[in-house]
Amino acid sequence: MKMKKLTSLLLASVMVLSMLAGCGNKADAPNSEPPASNPPASQPADDNKEPAPAGKEYDGVTLTMWSMWSSGEPQANVISEAAAAFEEKTGAKVNIEFKGRDVNKVLAASLEAKDNIDIIEDDYKRIGTVYQDFTMDLTDMAKAAGYEEFSYQCFTDQSIAWCGFLNAITEQPNVGGIFYDKDAFEKAGITAEPKTWAEFLDVCQKLKDAGVGPLAQDSAYCDFAFYHTLVRYLGEDKIEELTLNGGWSGTAAEQAAQDIIDLRNSGFLADGAPDEFPSSQNKIGFEQAAMVICADYVTAEVNGNTGREINWGLFNYPTVEGGADNGAAYMGANSLAITSYSENGQAAFDFIMFLTTGEMGQKLADQAHQIPADSRNTAPADLTGTIETLKAAQSPMTWCASLSVNADLKDTIKSMCTELFEGKYADGAAFCAAMDALYK
Amino acid sequence: MKKNKAMIFWFSLPAVLSLLIMFVYPVFRTVLMSFFQVESVTATTADWTFYGLGNYLKIFKSASFLISMRNMLMIWFVGGIITLALAMLMAVVVTSGIRGKKFFRAAIYLPNIISAVALATMWIQYIFNYDYGMLNEIVQLFGGDKVKWLGTDLKFWAMTGSFIFGSVGYYMLIYISGIEGIPQDLYEAATIDGAGKVSQFTRITLPLLKGVIKTSITFWSINTTTFFLWTKMFSPIDTESSTIVPVIYLYDMVFGGKGITTRDAGAGAAVGVVLTLIIIAVYLVTEKLFKGNDLEY
Repeated sequence: MKMKKLTSLLLASVMVLSMLAGCGNKADAPNSEPPASNPPASQPADDNKEPAPAGKEYDGVTLTMWSMWSSGEPQANVISEAAAAFEEKTGAKVNIEFKGRDVNKVLAASLEAKDNIDIIEDDYKRIGTVYQDFTMDLTDMAKAAGYEEFSYQCFTDQSIAWCGFLNAITEQPNVGGIFYDKDAFEKAGITAEPKTWAEFLDVCQKLKDAGVGPLAQDSAYCDFAFYHTLVRYLGEDKIEELTLNGGWSGTAAEQAAQDIIDLRNSGFLADGAPDEFPSSQNKIGFEQAAMVICADYVTAEVNGNTGREINWGLFNYPTVEGGADNGAAYMGANSLAITSYSENGQAAFDFIMFLTTGEMGQKLADQAHQIPADSRNTAPADLTGTIETLKAAQSPMTWCASLSVNADLKDTIKSMCTELFEGKYADGAAFCAAMDALYK
Repeated sequence: MKKNKAMIFWFSLPAVLSLLIMFVYPVFRTVLMSFFQVESVTATTADWTFYGLGNYLKIFKSASFLISMRNMLMIWFVGGIITLALAMLMAVVVTSGIRGKKFFRAAIYLPNIISAVALATMWIQYIFNYDYGMLNEIVQLFGGDKVKWLGTDLKFWAMTGSFIFGSVGYYMLIYISGIEGIPQDLYEAATIDGAGKVSQFTRITLPLLKGVIKTSITFWSINTTTFFLWTKMFSPIDTESSTIVPVIYLYDMVFGGKGITTRDAGAGAAVGVVLTLIIIAVYLVTEKLFKGNDLEY
C-alpha cells in the first residue's frame, strides 16, 4: 500500500513538473540590453554557439530567422538554398522558421519577449514603426558593405525617416501603378502609354471599342485604386487630415470621386467589376480585360492563375489637371531586419546581404518573380523598367496609409470605396457627403 | 472504502494547476487589462496605465465595433433561426423512418468534416462567382440578369448563408441524438389516440427536446461570438465593414491590421470581456426561458 502511494505521488509530481517545465521561459533568452554597437562577428555568443572546428569565418554561429513566407513558396525555397550555401561558405548555421504571412501578428509580442530571433522579415513600414525599438542600427554595416550603391535610396530614406536610423534591408521591393497587357493595347491600336487622365480615358475607349473590358477591378483593391486618384488631387497629407477629421465636401475629393463615377458610367470597368478577388484581375489572363491598378506581384498572380504568359507593361497612374501630387507612385517593400538583442549582428547582416544580392538575389528575383533587391541584378522580363523607376523615386506613396489612419472608420471607408466603384453614389458630392456623415 | 484525501489532492493537483494557469489566469489578466491602457498584449503590468472604463467607452463609440456587433447579432439571430430550424427539420425527417436514413445523415453532416477554408473557397469561387458561379447560371437559365452576390449589398448574406450551410449538420446530429432518446411508446400511444405527425412533433418531440434546444442555442451563441474564419475568407485582403465581426475587430485592434501600425491591447481586452458577457447573458436568458425541464421519460 505504501509503495502504491509512493508511486502515485511520484507520477503526480512528474506530471506537474513536466507541465511547469513546458510553461517555463526559454533558458537561452538573450540579455535585454540592446548592443550599443554591432558586435564583432567573431565574438563568441555563449548560448548560440557550439564548439566547432576553426577555419570558416562564422564557424559555430547559429542564426535564427523568422520568415514571412510559408514553406514551399518560391521565396522560401531560395531562402533555404541561401541558408545552406551560407553555411557552406561561412560556417554559420541559419535556422529558418517559416511563419507565413501572419508573422506580423506574433512578431511584436515575440520581440518584446526577446525570443530567440536574429533576423525578422516583414513589411518595411512595420519594421520601421512597430518593431523599431527591437531592431539593430545597420547604418555602419551597410556603409561598410557599400549598400547605398546597389540599393534603392527611397526605401533607405523612408526607414530613416520612420525610426531615425537604417533598420531594414530591402528584400522584395514593390512598385505599383497600372499594369497592362501590351498585346491588348496593340490590338486596340494604342501606341503610347497614357500620361494624363484624358489620355487614359481615350485609351479606355479604344480598348472598349476593341471588345476588351478596359480596367479590371477587384473589390479588395478598390480603396487602393481610388487612393491613387485622391493622392493626385489632394496629396497624402491632406487625405490623412480629412480621414482623421472629416470635411471631405467642398474639397477636390469630390472631383476624384466624380472621376471614378464617370469611369464606371462610361463602361470602362471590366464586366462584373468590382469583382471578388482575384476574379477581375484574372480577366486580363482571359483577354477580357487589359489593365489593373495594383503592385507588381499582380503579374505573377495573373500569370499563375490563368496559365497565360502575359506581355505586361506598366505606367504610372495618370496625372490630373491641377493635381496636388501628380508624380506619386506606390512603392513598398518586404524587408529584413536584425533584432537589437542579437549577439551575431554582423553574421546576420552578412547573411542578409548574401540572400538579397548577387547570385542569390537574382535567384530570388527569378524564382519569386519579383523586382531584384540588388539593383545591379536583372528584373524578370515583364518587370522591365521597374528597377529604374525605383531608383529614380524620391518619396514613395504608401498603400492607402492616409485612408487607414482612422482605425474606427477604416473598414467603413474601405467599403465605401468599393461602393463608389459599384455605382452607389450619384456624384462626387454625394460620396463626400456620405464620407462626412461618418464623423457626425 | 476509506477515502484517501491526500491521494485525491495529488491526483487533482495537475488538473487544478492546469485550469488555474491556462484558464483562470488569462481570464483574470484579460479582465484586468480591459481597465488599463495597454499597447502590447505582452506588456508587463509596469507599462499599464489605469484607464477606468475608457476602453469600454472607446469601443462603444467606435463605428467599426458597432457595425461588427450588428453583423454578429444578425448572424446570431437570423442565422440562428434558419440553422436551428433547418437542423430540427432535417433531424425529424431523418429519424422519421425514411429510407436511406444513414445516407441523408452522412450527406447533411458532410460539410462539417470539410475544412471551413475549402468550404468557403467553394462558395466564393464556384457558387457566388459573378461569371461562372452556380447561382448566376441558374439565374440566367430563368432569363434573369447576373447578380453580384459578393457585392457590398449581399456579401454579408452570402457569408452568412455559407456559414449556415456548414453548420446545419452539426446541430442536426445534436437533435437526432435527442430525438432518438425519446421512447417510441409515446409516439405509438399518440398515434393510437389519433394524433397526427405535426401534433406529435409539437406536443411530444419539442417539449422533450427542451434541454437539447437550450444546449444548441448556447453552442450557437458561442459559435457566432467566435466567428472569425468566414470573415477572413470573405475579406481576403483586408477587413471590410460588410463582413467585420467583433473578434476580427479585436484581432485588428490587438495585432494591427493591413496599413494600421497602432495597437491597443486594452481595447481588445474590453472587446473580449464584452463578448464573454454576451455569452453569459444568452446562457442565463435561455436558462430562464427553458426553465422547468423536468419532463422525465
